[in-house]
Amino acid sequence: MRASFVFSEVITGLRRNITMTIAMIITTAISLAMLGGGLIIVGSIDKMQQRYMADIEVSVYFTSDISASDKDCSGPVCQQIRQELGDNPLVESVVFEDRDKAYQRFKEIFASQPELVELATPGSLPASLKVKLKDPTRSELLVKQYTGKPGVDRVDDQSEFLDRFFSVLNAGRNITFVVFVVLLLAALMLISNTIQVSAFTRRTEVGIMRLVGATRWYTQLPFLLEAVVAGLAGAVLSVGGLIGLKYVFLDGILEKIPPLPKVELIDILFPVAPVLIGASVIISAITGYLTLRLYVRN
Amino acid sequence: MIRLEEVSKVYKTSTRPALERVSVEMDKGEFVFLIGPSGSGKSTFLRLLLREEVPSKGRVFVSNFDVAKMARRRVPRLRQTIGCVFQDFRLLGNKTVAENVAFALEVIGKPKQTIRKVVPEVLELVGLDGKADRLPNELSGGEQQRVAIARAFVNRPLVLLADEPTGNLDPDTSQDIMLLLERINRTGTTVVMATHDHSIVDSMRRRVVELHLGRVVRDDARGVYGVGR
Repeated sequence: MRASFVFSEVITGLRRNITMTIAMIITTAISLAMLGGGLIIVGSIDKMQQRYMADIEVSVYFTSDISASDKDCSGPVCQQIRQELGDNPLVESVVFEDRDKAYQRFKEIFASQPELVELATPGSLPASLKVKLKDPTRSELLVKQYTGKPGVDRVDDQSEFLDRFFSVLNAGRNITFVVFVVLLLAALMLISNTIQVSAFTRRTEVGIMRLVGATRWYTQLPFLLEAVVAGLAGAVLSVGGLIGLKYVFLDGILEKIPPLPKVELIDILFPVAPVLIGASVIISAITGYLTLRLYVRN
Repeated sequence: MIRLEEVSKVYKTSTRPALERVSVEMDKGEFVFLIGPSGSGKSTFLRLLLREEVPSKGRVFVSNFDVAKMARRRVPRLRQTIGCVFQDFRLLGNKTVAENVAFALEVIGKPKQTIRKVVPEVLELVGLDGKADRLPNELSGGEQQRVAIARAFVNRPLVLLADEPTGNLDPDTSQDIMLLLERINRTGTTVVMATHDHSIVDSMRRRVVELHLGRVVRDDARGVYGVGR
């Protein structure tokens, strides 16, 4: 097999059909970028789960009279609830936080917004039991059990707040995957069509090649490689596009939504880029092979 | 070299067989005219030898290939032992004379130095030395056919199939092409030529196999075109 021969055939083929080639590359690129975007979102969800789930707490806030009178959870109401929670098999740990501690924490959290800290006083914040669960996803039960109990003002579940982000992210992921599949179909048809057009414009050459006894590799490899090269170009373009998107848009947007983790360059380069390139090469090669098998006489 | 045993070929789209129980044997180094009116089965005969078609019945042998039964992946090997020339030359218009001939070697993976050596040799043999860098449309019909013959012969095939090679040429040019085919035949290559051209067949006095409606109706060792009609 003479590589130079095959290679020059591939280049001529792609050039002769330049508009189709470009359409094929762009469609492939956008389709893959969608897949990549979806994968990045999946990665973000994982990151968030790792980062926040372990720290997620259910807070049982006491009414203001208990908050004011009970400084160390020695009152009957607080003690009973703490006892119950401690015995609950779902619970890992229970920590009591009185008003002063709550105020300290409030000051820490909002240190960057002094005007907010000024407005708050220890008296305005409730005392609470901070409950850490063995399995943070099963917080619902506790919330239901303690909401409305005497002495309990409200029960706050941090995971509910995160769930809202997760549902937005999941929806985003699903949309990108759907668009990916639809565009992938378009890309497949373009690849198949380009190969057929390519094979048709070169039917004389291929006819002569078959006649003088060229093997199928020689007659068909150039067409197959055309598809693979275009697929590869699409994949590279999509990776470049994703990186560009990260710096131009995503970084700015994600900074304003703190619970959403930043998308790092390495996230795109490592799991995503090889997946896109591999998928693209495999898909275009298979499409090319099937097209040649089904539509082009060899 | 070539042997057909009771070969029949029926195309799906046709009710009448294109070839019916044809048995012919052609020896190494023979020059054979295949004659008969259009639709008599000449082209089918040649296509069977190339395994462009497989027979509906019977067996086909070329050299030591059992053509009808061989595996598909071995077909290129068969075709490398057969050279082909057509009425319409089938040259690549964007390649020069030398490149057209070289193409046939490139696509079967011959090394570059071999190609550089044998292409000028074969161009000289067909009388086109000096025109190696011309494009096909700068050549006369006769010259174009010489390029096609050079391409068919450059790999030194055992068999040369020519399907109406003089069909597009004037009588004088046709005569030149026949001389060239004779010269190739003298190197030991079996030549099978399908033709309508009476004068060529009559003047050459070679073996004539006549087909009519898919049957062999005549096989003369030193025949002419129109006997008995």
